[in-house]
Amino acid sequence: MQGEEFDLEQMEQETEEMLKVRFLTEKNATFSRTEGGFVSLTVGEEVYSRVHVVRMFPFTDPQHYISIRTPEERSKEIGIIEDIGKLNKDTRSMLEEQMNLRYFTPIIQKIISIKEEYGYAYFDVLTDRGACRFTIHMGGSSIIHLSDTRILISDIDENRFEIPDVDQLTAGERKKLDLFL
Amino acid sequence: MILNFELSEKDRQLLELTQGEEIYYALPLDLDHEGNYLKNSYVVITNRTISVLENGIRKKQYALTDCEEIKSEPQIACGILFVIRNGKEELLGRFSSKHLARFSYAARGAMLLKRGKTQKIESKEYETTCLICGRALPGTKQCPHCEGKKAGVLHELLLMLKPYKIQMIVIFLLMLAASTITLLNPEIQKYLIDDILNAENSTLTQAFICLGIMFSLSIGIIIVNISKSYLCARLGSTISMDLRKRLYEKIQILTLSFINDRRPGELMNRIINDTGRVREFMEDIFCNLFTVVIIFICDIIYMLILDVKLAILAFMFTPISVFVSVAFWKNIHRRFHRQWVKNDDIYSQLQDVISGMSIVKSYGKEGEESQRFDKSSEEFAVIQSRNEVFWAIFYPTLSFIIGAGVFLILYFGGKDVIYGNMTAGELLQFVNYTSLLYMYLNWITNLPRQLMNLVTSIQRIGDVMSQEPQIYDKKNASKLEVKGEIEFQNVSFGYKSYQPVLEHINLKVKPGEMIGLVGASGTGKSTMINLIMHLYEADDGELLVDGKDIREIQLANYHAQIGVVLQETFLFSGTILNNIRFARPDATYEEVIRAAKMANAHDFICRTPDGYNTYVGERGFNLSGGERQRLAIARAILNEPRLLILDEATASLDTESEYLIQKALERLRSGRTTFAIAHRLSTLKDADRLVVIDGHEIAEVGTHNELMEKKGIYYGLVTAQLEMQNTEKN
Repeated sequence: MQGEEFDLEQMEQETEEMLKVRFLTEKNATFSRTEGGFVSLTVGEEVYSRVHVVRMFPFTDPQHYISIRTPEERSKEIGIIEDIGKLNKDTRSMLEEQMNLRYFTPIIQKIISIKEEYGYAYFDVLTDRGACRFTIHMGGSSIIHLSDTRILISDIDENRFEIPDVDQLTAGERKKLDLFL
Repeated sequence: MILNFELSEKDRQLLELTQGEEIYYALPLDLDHEGNYLKNSYVVITNRTISVLENGIRKKQYALTDCEEIKSEPQIACGILFVIRNGKEELLGRFSSKHLARFSYAARGAMLLKRGKTQKIESKEYETTCLICGRALPGTKQCPHCEGKKAGVLHELLLMLKPYKIQMIVIFLLMLAASTITLLNPEIQKYLIDDILNAENSTLTQAFICLGIMFSLSIGIIIVNISKSYLCARLGSTISMDLRKRLYEKIQILTLSFINDRRPGELMNRIINDTGRVREFMEDIFCNLFTVVIIFICDIIYMLILDVKLAILAFMFTPISVFVSVAFWKNIHRRFHRQWVKNDDIYSQLQDVISGMSIVKSYGKEGEESQRFDKSSEEFAVIQSRNEVFWAIFYPTLSFIIGAGVFLILYFGGKDVIYGNMTAGELLQFVNYTSLLYMYLNWITNLPRQLMNLVTSIQRIGDVMSQEPQIYDKKNASKLEVKGEIEFQNVSFGYKSYQPVLEHINLKVKPGEMIGLVGASGTGKSTMINLIMHLYEADDGELLVDGKDIREIQLANYHAQIGVVLQETFLFSGTILNNIRFARPDATYEEVIRAAKMANAHDFICRTPDGYNTYVGERGFNLSGGERQRLAIARAILNEPRLLILDEATASLDTESEYLIQKALERLRSGRTTFAIAHRLSTLKDADRLVVIDGHEIAEVGTHNELMEKKGIYYGLVTAQLEMQNTEKN
């Protein structure tokens, strides 16, 4: 029965570890670019050939509380970066690249037209990532209000588009969008 | 879903295909690494290589055998494709969510090719957008817009109407009558004014006769319209009932995979809403279709015959009134859509708060919630009152504008009458025709939209109807009295072609043997049971029942000999009696009572207010999990199955009911071939043999003692569970 007790201890240890919040700083963690276009991490004796860079508050605070995680499906947290602004320039740009790779939400800069037909709305827009056409379901939850003026649009393929401030749109654009606000 | 996009000749050359090399998958990369939209860029997978083509340049090409892994990884609203070479991950490309599913299929396909399997993966998923016209597809394979115009849909509609030929002819004649009467009325009115009221030697009798004709025409049109509406409504209901019935039957026949691939709401939608839309079309549109079209055409002809100048004047006004009315309806639609959305908001907010009331109260948040609700309620009220005001002001205005053409006619026509170029009766007749024209204008402009709705619904229905069930009685299928010997011969199976769940399963089970299936969740235990129940068919290998291929046994006959007790017992709305008798509706009361006693269910049934007649199921009497379970066991006992399947039958039950159920199951099992899945391994202690499934394959087979001695996976599972119990006790 000794073996079992040992296992139990280990399990408890693991549980304890999950409760801990480990902050990663320049002092205890070294990030570096990999040849393949990802980022690797060394923390003390642990080495990770690729890590996931995950925002905990992607909408309300994208620059703070970044979770650095292992890349497998049931990922585990390696540590948290409290403020990405406090890192040196190189590390910061490295992590921002990874987040840019992970999150894809073009910002709508100009609404060219919105056409409505048979329960779908067809958008023709200009985004910060280039011109784009997409389709949303009318009715249902295609449009989420992040705040009174900030909206997130999900199309039928689950692509996301953001309008950071509807008040900044021209009167004509607002009128086209009116139906969805 | 397309996995092999057409490449330009130039792109193909870039690949430098070698002899015997074939393009398997070609998918568009629509984002660059920074996340800007990209065009003309592809990932191409052949049976030998994987290449990245970007704007006419070959960026990368690797031999599949050089890659340890090819993976598609979903990100947030996008995805990436990467390979692992020499233990290092290398990013190949990036794509938007639009292509997420495509890449995950292709990546698995590439892994198959890497392993030397040349099978091409096909995706049965539908595209979300029509590749020809760019419109969203309403859950159908074909685009209602591009394909809908073709003969297929019309053909389907005609097939639907075929059994109702006589009714259709009667309706058509009635429509003809309705248009004739409508068009005749102004003619009679003209006669009354010109030849009777304005003529010199006319008698009162003539006037009365004329009035009489007008009166009987009015009565006539009412009768015609009522009978037409009645017949159309009846036809519409019959057709939609017919469709509902056929759809429902079809969905029941179809393989589980078809149903599991779709959200349950979607299939319900097709059975209820789409057939409903066909009915609405028959009642509202079809009912008037020919009447309106005939009236419209004859109306125009009459107007031209009566007075070309006035007619052209009236026609000139039509674009304006069409424009005004379309703009008006669009505006109204937008306004009321917003109102509807707000209404929905309030509804879901209410549902939220009322179902979470205990949380709201226990945290003392009533005030905040009231405020939140007040706010949306106020917004709704503002929108609503604005809309009502808009309606009240603009609808009369709209009618006025649309009717304004009549004033022009009256002005010019009136002048003609005064100068004697036209009689008063003719003017009245003309004005009547003009009003008719404007009246039906709106209806006609709305027609294309209505037709499109119909086509969409018919396609969504046709989509289900055209599915072929994958499991059906083969020609040589026959009945079999099952003794209970089950044999897996090199069976492989996956729900999706690229994802094997079971591989090379070999197992022979003797009649009356109890087999415990053990393994972590998701390893394929339930899948094995699904195969035994013949809900799915093996992709490869054979499953034999008493030495006979399972595909050669009649489905209904085979299923009647299986008893199933699952973790979540599903009770149908109905009485306890009906639920126990589900598989054998002809069982006598005595048999039912015996079965219930064997299942340890009799006592609690007697304690319910209405005994065996107690109503259970949705909105019925509330039974506990253990009680439901025992009803399921009684249901299985009554059926006297030859094969018994217990899938987590005793999970999540309290100790007392578990004991009762264990006893009931013991009685049920005796002499029957039994397959049992349980996470709590102690419940499998009676099993003759345990089969441990791991990594898609059978890892260990043997009795409890044999496997414990082996100290393999089973040993690990048992000790882990013992530890958990110890911790709980401590």
